[in-house]
Amino acid sequence: MSQEEVVTKDGLKIRKLVDLKASTAEEYQEAMLHRVEHFSKRKDSVFNDFVENTIVQGLKLALNAKVEIDKMLGDNKDKVHKILENVLLFGL
Amino acid sequence: MYHLDGTDVLEEKYYHKTKSICPVCQDKIDAEIVEEEGEIWIKKTCPEHGDFKDKISSSAKYYKWTHFAQRDENGNTEWEFLKNGEANPPDKQGDDPRGCPYNCGLCDEHLSTCSLVLIDLTNRCNFNCSFCYANVRRAGYLIEPSLEELDRIMKHFRNKPIPAPAIMFAGGEPTVRADFPEICKMAKDNGFKEVICATNGFGFQKKKGGLEFTKECFEKGLDTLYLQFDGINNATLEKTRGINNLIPYKERVIENCRKAGLTSIVLVQTVVKGITDVEVGNVIQYAIDNIDVVRGIIYQPVSLCGRITAEDMQELRITNADVIKEVDKQTNGKIGIDNAWYPLSTIVELGRIIAFLADVEPIEFTCHPDCGFATYLVVDPDSNEMVPIIDYFDPLKIVDFSNKFWEKIKNKEKEPIKFFENFLGDFGKTLDKGVNWLDKQQLRARFLAGMLQYTKKPGKLMEMFTRILLNGEWESISAFTHGSLLIGSMHFQDAYNLDIERTKRCVVHFGVAMPDGSVFESPFCTMNTLHRSRIEKIVAKKLTAKVENEFDTSKGVKVGEVTQQDLMQQQEVAHNGGTKKEE
Repeated sequence: MSQEEVVTKDGLKIRKLVDLKASTAEEYQEAMLHRVEHFSKRKDSVFNDFVENTIVQGLKLALNAKVEIDKMLGDNKDKVHKILENVLLFGL
Repeated sequence: MYHLDGTDVLEEKYYHKTKSICPVCQDKIDAEIVEEEGEIWIKKTCPEHGDFKDKISSSAKYYKWTHFAQRDENGNTEWEFLKNGEANPPDKQGDDPRGCPYNCGLCDEHLSTCSLVLIDLTNRCNFNCSFCYANVRRAGYLIEPSLEELDRIMKHFRNKPIPAPAIMFAGGEPTVRADFPEICKMAKDNGFKEVICATNGFGFQKKKGGLEFTKECFEKGLDTLYLQFDGINNATLEKTRGINNLIPYKERVIENCRKAGLTSIVLVQTVVKGITDVEVGNVIQYAIDNIDVVRGIIYQPVSLCGRITAEDMQELRITNADVIKEVDKQTNGKIGIDNAWYPLSTIVELGRIIAFLADVEPIEFTCHPDCGFATYLVVDPDSNEMVPIIDYFDPLKIVDFSNKFWEKIKNKEKEPIKFFENFLGDFGKTLDKGVNWLDKQQLRARFLAGMLQYTKKPGKLMEMFTRILLNGEWESISAFTHGSLLIGSMHFQDAYNLDIERTKRCVVHFGVAMPDGSVFESPFCTMNTLHRSRIEKIVAKKLTAKVENEFDTSKGVKVGEVTQQDLMQQQEVAHNGGTKKEE
């Protein structure tokens, strides 16, 4: 974490954050995965649901593809999203 | 407010009529909320006590964004951040002709259901903070509900058509109670998904037994510590809490939680102008450094209880917008006022859709847009930089899509498809169940596709978000929050800035067990502003010298040993209309 430490006249340490670069990025993900591990110990945990795990993996692939398609669409992205939104809301 | 830039909304002066109370006689009076020189003020006049004026927001631009309404091409409102909730049936019919907020209990004017139950477990405390409203010495009586009374309060909130999902134990200092771990278990047994303790850390930080206490609480059901944390400098904490060298005390709490596996701490900073506001960036830094156990930061601009002069008011008042500006300044614009923050009510429709599709209890954050703002910080896996979550999503598009989607499907929740039942009887009912299940699956597919198109980055965090959308389960929400850092600001009301429109939408409700066997339910701000002293006198227990002198509050340590028997003796005189000592 980049920071500059400033000491005020009252002796307070004020840490001015220059950027929010985390040296702990992996810890974040680990904390989340530990939580998953914690819940997975229970038999009825959603993290042990085969169907759901399969859907999540499928959506992960879909999201990866979608990010690439968005890049290709360039300026037309918003127009395409609007059309898709109308399709998704159609008939409800 | 990039999405308001260049719109007419910013050009129009904000004006809104509402109701408030007189800070002196507490009678209901008209009030107006007006824009003046880039700020938002509440102005009111009591016929007997004169004019009152108080700042609601130091940024009119930001305030207008939080009161934003999306309109269609004909100018009709499609959705807005100000919402009415799915309120539970009232507990009582109000008998005070003045109506809200005098009929709390809860009355039929309330527009939201309760998301977070608050129970004061005791008003005993090892600290004696100058701005605290709940303190045994200052009150002159003891407040400490019995286990039977606590169970009654919990059942009151869990047995409603829309049960409250989370509970917070407050005080006083809740962990001075020897039976605190049992109370956590009771909350879980009653079905609360999230059990939270608002604490200065007393029980958890003890050098002897602190770790064992933390483990026991965690094992019995405590999920989250709402830890009082005003800064990282001893000098700051001494100013706010009157105790020397408190940082090691706080660090012992963090360390014991880490060792016990209790990995959900929310740092709560009371923001006082000129004292703790300089440390908002420090607290973010501290949270990031301890991210394995810290899940969030909540800033609470101090509320002003008691009578003060207009000059003092101007001097002391700090609003949510001031806090957000400080965060912006102290993070070098990384968490900007312009785009990072959203009112808590933003996610209402998203939550309703998830709850409906997954058949889980809904969580209704239909509080007023002025109550609180929040953002999430997440780690960008590409740059390793902490970024506001808006870098992952297109939040306004997600909000817009969710609102439109819910508007179209909300009737399905109340009126499921009944097609075959009409001509095939019971067999038809079974067929209709299948049809409804299939209908939900196609709705779920549409909703996920909609969410997907406004998601900008892949990664583990997005997998967890997908799980929330799929199952709405607390496990998924909990895992998601473990991969992110919540930063929020919640400004509680006092008699000077009280807006009854806010009060009616409050989602944080106090519960008090009354001597007649009922439970008094009151929105947080009206409890503290209007009802606390009256209600406490009804349920108070007499205070003995032993209990009064239990702690040396200049050091925050226990001196006199108060046993369960001492407290039981006081239970016997409970409900006798315990009176204030000076009376």
